[in-house]
Amino acid sequence: MNNKKTLVLLAFCLFCVLFFLKCSVMEESAGIFGKVSKIVASEKDTIKAVRSGFGDISEEEEYYIGRAVAAIILSMYPAYQNDDLTRYVNSVGMAVVYHSDRPETFAGYHFLVLDTEEVNALSAPSGFIFISKGLLKRCRNEEMLGCILAHEVAHVQEKHGLQAIKNARLVDAFTLIGEKAIEKYGPEKLAKLTDVFEDALGDIAGKLIERGYDRKYEYEADRLSIEIAARTGYDPKGLIDFLETMRQDSSQGEEKGWFKTHPSAGDRIERAQKEISSLSFIPEKASARTARYEKAVQRLR
Amino acid sequence: MKKPSLLSGILIVFFLLVSILIAKSFVVKISSTHLRAEPQFYAQSLAVLKAGESVEQLETKEGWIKVKTSRGLTGWVHSCAVKPKGVALLASASSLKTDASADEVALAGKGFNKQVEGEYKARNPNISFAMVDKMLQLKISPSSIKTFLARGKLGEFGREK
Repeated sequence: MNNKKTLVLLAFCLFCVLFFLKCSVMEESAGIFGKVSKIVASEKDTIKAVRSGFGDISEEEEYYIGRAVAAIILSMYPAYQNDDLTRYVNSVGMAVVYHSDRPETFAGYHFLVLDTEEVNALSAPSGFIFISKGLLKRCRNEEMLGCILAHEVAHVQEKHGLQAIKNARLVDAFTLIGEKAIEKYGPEKLAKLTDVFEDALGDIAGKLIERGYDRKYEYEADRLSIEIAARTGYDPKGLIDFLETMRQDSSQGEEKGWFKTHPSAGDRIERAQKEISSLSFIPEKASARTARYEKAVQRLR
Repeated sequence: MKKPSLLSGILIVFFLLVSILIAKSFVVKISSTHLRAEPQFYAQSLAVLKAGESVEQLETKEGWIKVKTSRGLTGWVHSCAVKPKGVALLASASSLKTDASADEVALAGKGFNKQVEGEYKARNPNISFAMVDKMLQLKISPSSIKTFLARGKLGEFGREK
């Protein structure tokens, strides 16, 4: 009886080892034949079956979507030409990015100042982030800028832009894409795929520029921006300071930019205060940061 | 007394064998990332790892993974730059393929790609990508970010007493 048990145990062990070996061999075989154009059939089927929602959009696809959304934004607003300011905004942005949960994307994060008095901050998928001259003028220190950029980084981190794409479009796209590993699309398929691409861009740009993200995404981005800002070392009350500034600002109508696409400042302040009070550590403002902020934006004043 | 010790001996040997054989394998899912000497973005870069390159996990630390590359180098990559590849044998560096089979890699160049962007540009000549390309060139080196953090008492420099 005991010998039988030992034999069963040995057989089980052997089975487990063989199972792991099989997994490895499957990967090895794909490696041997594994150029993109020569993926084994079962693997292609898996790709087709698995891809069903925004989370299945590859990093590379997200990058191409983000590029096009950024191009749409830049067709509406010109870039502000000031290398020192651009470099400063990118430094604050990257400081925040390093302390986020998604510090690397397909081609990294890039920040640009838009030459408009409109108050606005926008993020395209994959890390193309824009902040308007009008918004920068309303910030009084680096804490406020850091918190706003952290809010935009949170949108990228959580893929809120990709979630704006209607699911039916993604299903169409995955059906078109998923059947074969093609190196170059034929004219018909390319036309269909570009149709879906354009529609997806319309979904994202419509949310970003016209209607704004769903409130739940804005609240989530606020909550995460507080976490990220505090991790970076910025006083997260910079977000409240900015929202207070916006609440008191009557220079712009509610039909433009940030005012049109974001929930009311009052509601956000209340939630942000609760979030900040739950933090175990709240960094303080530093005079060195405020001084360099003043220097960076002096040409805007 | 003898029989149970034989059984437990078999089990110990089995679990040791499995733990040696099995390693968590990852594949780089972004355009490229750095293999770093320490789990920090501004740590020394040991190598550039391209999309599709496979690495084996050695240990993890606060969002970072210590890995061994197909070239036998050891260093750290951020977890958001890689994707699990599945079960693989640790056996040797030769078992690591740079042309990995993970779906992210299988999808490389597929779907919304350069060709689709080209078609989109042809349809929308009013939308220029020139400034987007210029934006992509805006890069601040990790060492400059380190200086920026240090001077602003941010990150690890803000926690120093």
